[in-house]
Formats: sequence, structure tokens, C-alpha cells
Amino acid sequence: MESNPREELLLNPKPGTAAAAARDFGIDLTLTVQNLRLKPEERIRRLDDFVDGIKQIQANLRWLKKSTTNTKTIRS
Amino acid sequence: MKDAEKQLGLLGQYEVECVIVGGVAATLHGSSLTTRDLDVCYSRSPPNLIRIADALRSVKARLRGAPEGLPFVLDQETLRRRLNFTFQTDIGHVDLLGEMAGVGGYGEALEDADVMELFGFQFEVLSLPKLIAAKRAAGRTKDLLVIPELEAIYEFQTRGKSERS
Repeated sequence: MESNPREELLLNPKPGTAAAAARDFGIDLTLTVQNLRLKPEERIRRLDDFVDGIKQIQANLRWLKKSTTNTKTIRS
Repeated sequence: MKDAEKQLGLLGQYEVECVIVGGVAATLHGSSLTTRDLDVCYSRSPPNLIRIADALRSVKARLRGAPEGLPFVLDQETLRRRLNFTFQTDIGHVDLLGEMAGVGGYGEALEDADVMELFGFQFEVLSLPKLIAAKRAAGRTKDLLVIPELEAIYEFQTRGKSERS
């Protein structure tokens, strides 16, 4: 990721800053920088895309569980 | 169009007076953490309660977690009687907060809110300092987890401003 000088505050934070505390806490600030580069509306679209992905995974898991149960019923 | 976009469009279309708070506010400020519901702190003026009820009825809002078939009339009077509501709607989860710990009511949330243009409408978004205060006051694990990133974003914004000026 190419960064501008201001983004260095987050990407390479100085000790004692909130950014350093966040990084040490386990926050991946490269993701934060990516989000900050977006317009607010784009941030919402990205959130929606992510939530849609989760819903899709959940639906697939439900389908898989159901089909596994049906297979067991047929076999028994 | 997806959930959050539809939810915001609904509030804009019905001209609901509210401040976006919670996880969506965090996203709007740049947080990379995710949420599945839209939380808003709303004006409790009678005309606004009517607009909210109309908006939510249009997406078949029902109380989240309530037993199926529980009688519930979504109108101005119902909204007037309680402060906070959690709704399941045809376009996802929408939560209404009359008051928020660490912030107060709609008036306090509005004071230094950031105005953002979203999907053709202007929205008030809870300021970062108040969002951090609200998360801290809520005190649940999921709220506390987001604070370090929000504080880093606030530092980034305020330092950036002072360095530019």
C-alpha cells in the first residue's frame, strides 16, 4: 500500500500515540487507512458488501447442514 | 441496493430527524470494524415520531426478539411511551435510541454532529469524541473493542488538521 505522509501517522505510529496503542491492541491500521481513503458513502457500500458476504456464508452453511441431515435420513 | 443503503434511504425519504450513531457511525468515520444494524438517536418531537412510524411501517418493522404474533402497534403513541426500540424490518435491523449513555438525547447528539451526504440525503453523524464516549459508557466487549481504532482515527483527524493549518 502506497501511503501519503499523513497516513504515516497510522501506518508507522510514534510511541505513545493513540495509533500505536491501537496497533498494539491488535487493530490492523492498514484496513483503517484503506477505509479513510474512501468517501463516507463508499464506506457504507463496502460495509454492505461485507455483510452480504457473511449472509451468503450463513445461507450456505444452513443449506449444507440441511442437505447433510437429509442424506443421513435417506441412508438410515 | 443493500441493507444499510436502503435503511439510510428510508430515513432520508421520510425526512426523519435523527443522528446516526453506533457501528454505522464508526464505519462512516473510517472504522474497519463491521456492524449489521443501523442505530439512530432520534428526535422525539411529535411530528418526527409520526414520520418514524410511517417509515418503519413501510418496511414491516416488528420488535426484534419478540414472540411471533405479539400484538404491536407501530405508531406515534407507541414510540412516545418508550425511549429505545430494536426493530427487525424487511431491510434489516434498525434500532432507535431516545437516549444514549455517555451522550444524552437527540439534542446532545446533534450539537457537534458531522454532516455527511449519503445517497442523495444529508445525515447527521455522531461526532467521534461522542461516539468514543458512548462506546465507553456502553461498556460491552463489542463496544470496548472498537475504541482503540476510533481514538486512532480521531488522533489522525485532529493531528492532520493541526499539521495542515
